[in-house]
Amino acid sequence: MTGENKKGSEQSRREFLRTTTALAGAAMVGLPAHEAAAGKKHPKRGGTIRFGMRDDSVGLDTHRNFIYYVSQPMAGLTGGLLDFNEKMEPVAAVAKEWDASADLKTWTFKLKSGVEYHNGETIDAESVKWNIERILDPKIGHSFNRSALTDVERVTVDDKLTVRFHLREPNAAFDTNVIYYPVNLIAPGSADKADTHPVSCGPFKFKSWKRFDTCELVRFENFYETDSEGNSLPYLDGMIGKPKKEDRVRLTALRTNEVDLIDNMAYADAPNFEKEHGKSFNTWKVSQLGTAFIAFNLKNGPFSAKDNPDAHMLRMAAAHAIDHEGIHEVVFNKQGHIAKGFYGEASPWHGKDITPWPAFDPDKAKALRKKAKGGDAKLLIIANDSFPYMQQSGELAHAMLKDAGFDVTFEIHPTPVVQDKYNKGTFDIDSSANSYRIDPDGWFSRSILSTAPETIRRHGYKNEQVDKLILAAKVEKDKAKRRQMYADVDTLVNKDLPLIYTYFIPGLQAGTKRIQGYKPAFTGPFNYAGGGLRTAWIE
Amino acid sequence: MLAYFIRRVFYLVPVLLVLTMVVFTFVEMLPGNIIDTLVGTEGVNDPEVRKILEKEYGLDQPVYVRYVKWLGRAVQFDFGKSLVTRRPVAVELLQGIPATMYLAIVGISLSMLIAVPLGTIAAVKRNTPIDYAAQVTSLIGISIPEFWFAILCVLFFALYLGWLPSSGFVSPFVDFWGSLKFLILPAAAIGFRQAAYTTRLTRSSMLDEMNKEYVDTARSLGLAERKVIFKYTLRNAMIPTITISGLQLANLLGGTVVLETIFAWPGIGRAIYEAIIQRDYPLIQAGVLVLGVIVVSMNLLVDMTYRLLNPRVKFA
Repeated sequence: MTGENKKGSEQSRREFLRTTTALAGAAMVGLPAHEAAAGKKHPKRGGTIRFGMRDDSVGLDTHRNFIYYVSQPMAGLTGGLLDFNEKMEPVAAVAKEWDASADLKTWTFKLKSGVEYHNGETIDAESVKWNIERILDPKIGHSFNRSALTDVERVTVDDKLTVRFHLREPNAAFDTNVIYYPVNLIAPGSADKADTHPVSCGPFKFKSWKRFDTCELVRFENFYETDSEGNSLPYLDGMIGKPKKEDRVRLTALRTNEVDLIDNMAYADAPNFEKEHGKSFNTWKVSQLGTAFIAFNLKNGPFSAKDNPDAHMLRMAAAHAIDHEGIHEVVFNKQGHIAKGFYGEASPWHGKDITPWPAFDPDKAKALRKKAKGGDAKLLIIANDSFPYMQQSGELAHAMLKDAGFDVTFEIHPTPVVQDKYNKGTFDIDSSANSYRIDPDGWFSRSILSTAPETIRRHGYKNEQVDKLILAAKVEKDKAKRRQMYADVDTLVNKDLPLIYTYFIPGLQAGTKRIQGYKPAFTGPFNYAGGGLRTAWIE
Repeated sequence: MLAYFIRRVFYLVPVLLVLTMVVFTFVEMLPGNIIDTLVGTEGVNDPEVRKILEKEYGLDQPVYVRYVKWLGRAVQFDFGKSLVTRRPVAVELLQGIPATMYLAIVGISLSMLIAVPLGTIAAVKRNTPIDYAAQVTSLIGISIPEFWFAILCVLFFALYLGWLPSSGFVSPFVDFWGSLKFLILPAAAIGFRQAAYTTRLTRSSMLDEMNKEYVDTARSLGLAERKVIFKYTLRNAMIPTITISGLQLANLLGGTVVLETIFAWPGIGRAIYEAIIQRDYPLIQAGVLVLGVIVVSMNLLVDMTYRLLNPRVKFA
């Protein structure tokens, strides 16, 4: 397996054709060749972009904290063994090539020579090993970062530029787990200052941070990536992250020229923004930040087979009560798409033939609820207060279930309370969502597989056939076959209804016309191979 | 006066002690804990990891042991490290408190600058168009929610006129004039609303004072009306105004989470709010303690000001 990123060569071929066509056209109309060629915008070095973002990291140590790659400025400084490209596929980064043993239990990564951390330390196999062990330390590594490495039994160093991961279980998709999100690398020599001055190997390096105010990053002059002409990336001198939690506050800041770029425009503003402000601003659609769903508590209560023989019928009743079109219109303002599985159409993991959840049918919902034991039980829907769409989807589900005759109440809570309710099983329905997973194993093995801690804690779904499919897909090398297996799992999920997929969470980024060469990946990140802020410049 | 001051400072000790106990107990009673936050909704969440983290953060000890240990360090001004950011709590607080103080003090000063003259004029020109205008304006000020007024200010002055930035913060120690640009809108949003209350209060206090005999005496002695109003009446009428403004200031120093969010102002309100959400115990404890100290100090300061305004006030 090799990580050669073909995007660069494709781009240069396209640019070559564009340029030669322009030159030929110029010759026909008698224009000087250089003027015609000047129609093509060429990247410029320099400039600093001010990025208004929804979120800010909790702390600076990128192992100890979860650095969300879409809406936290610190994601600009993280780098890792591998990168992902615009399609969210793994490509080379610090590692130039990698391979798995026949039994998929040993993965070997060969590092590029001469790649450095921001402080000039050389990235070698020993430092990669040190990083992995640091992330795996439960006293240090954030749970999400660690969860990418749960299969790792040990890491060994073959030589200065070869590092080997020995896994407990075979894993065909392990490479996606060592992409910089979330397994980023920091300079071992900087560990004692990781909480105050992080040193990683991404396109930008740390300058200053004031939580909820400013995160200032400057260009890393020795970043490993170059453009198709061999110019080192990024083109920008730096980025200044300006965390502004409220969507409208960010939008106003963009319109008043206080920032150049914003993420996550409010769904209420997105439909008309391009029409009303398209002359002044560019927009970039993000098709799947994640996937929203409504999960049932199968561990106890009326939706659990343990407590109610008609639990499945009751879940069917609830599913028939949910109007996905209503969520599409009310919560997302007709932006994005309804979800029938975990992956949307833009994803290489999109399953085409998934049998969807029960269709919206209020009469059937009422009839099933009346028929099922526990149909009159008092139910509680919960939603996390972190994201408005979770609350709004919960509110809507509450209204829809009430219409179907369910006796249901709705509560919004902060994360610790929601987690406490998961732990104690003191909820019936959860309006929630998961961010996009680069490999389906990241969703199915962590949140659907019956033995996964997260499954046990949150909904307690158990289906042997589903488990077999997930475990088989994990060791299947053929991508098409894996995709089909996961589609089959989603079909079973839609039948069993431990959860109802509702929506592929869309996003809209907007920026001034001065920003050129920028495009987020389809799941929203701004730091990826061959694109995002790495290839952006300011005119 | 010095003895009174020392006695009042001495009284603060039990007040703050009870405050820390109450906060410690309430935080302990909140559902969910820091370990839930640290293990997250993702990935590994087994009892072993929880145990390791509980030990790492000292949460394996009984609550009273943790409280006593915390108190022992706090009296030495060592508030420990944030469980979430891993930075010293003092650093976290010192990042937010100056920004909040800057905003609150300017906001309250602005409100006083508007309210005292307006309330005084309204009282002196009672039942005239000036009085009616002042009363209607203050009624509108009280009725408009602060956040809505703030959003209107942003739309008008930042978006349509483009005179001021819509959000953000620059430290006055870095760029004083630059910082004012960012300060004007949030300070105005605070100042105008607080001024609405204070105007009404000043007016009614002035009316009370103006009906007292010493005012008639002053007038009968032939003192100029301006002197009667500004030297004697207003000075006495200011006591309730100062009291309320002091409490308003203490309240604002406690954090203005909504305004801080609208103006992306990196103050203490949002920092403590996030600490509560994440169950960052040391930061909550220290934050509440510091705010408690500020509030009781403000009260003390207000009490001391009475004496300056009215020498007849005796310190018991």
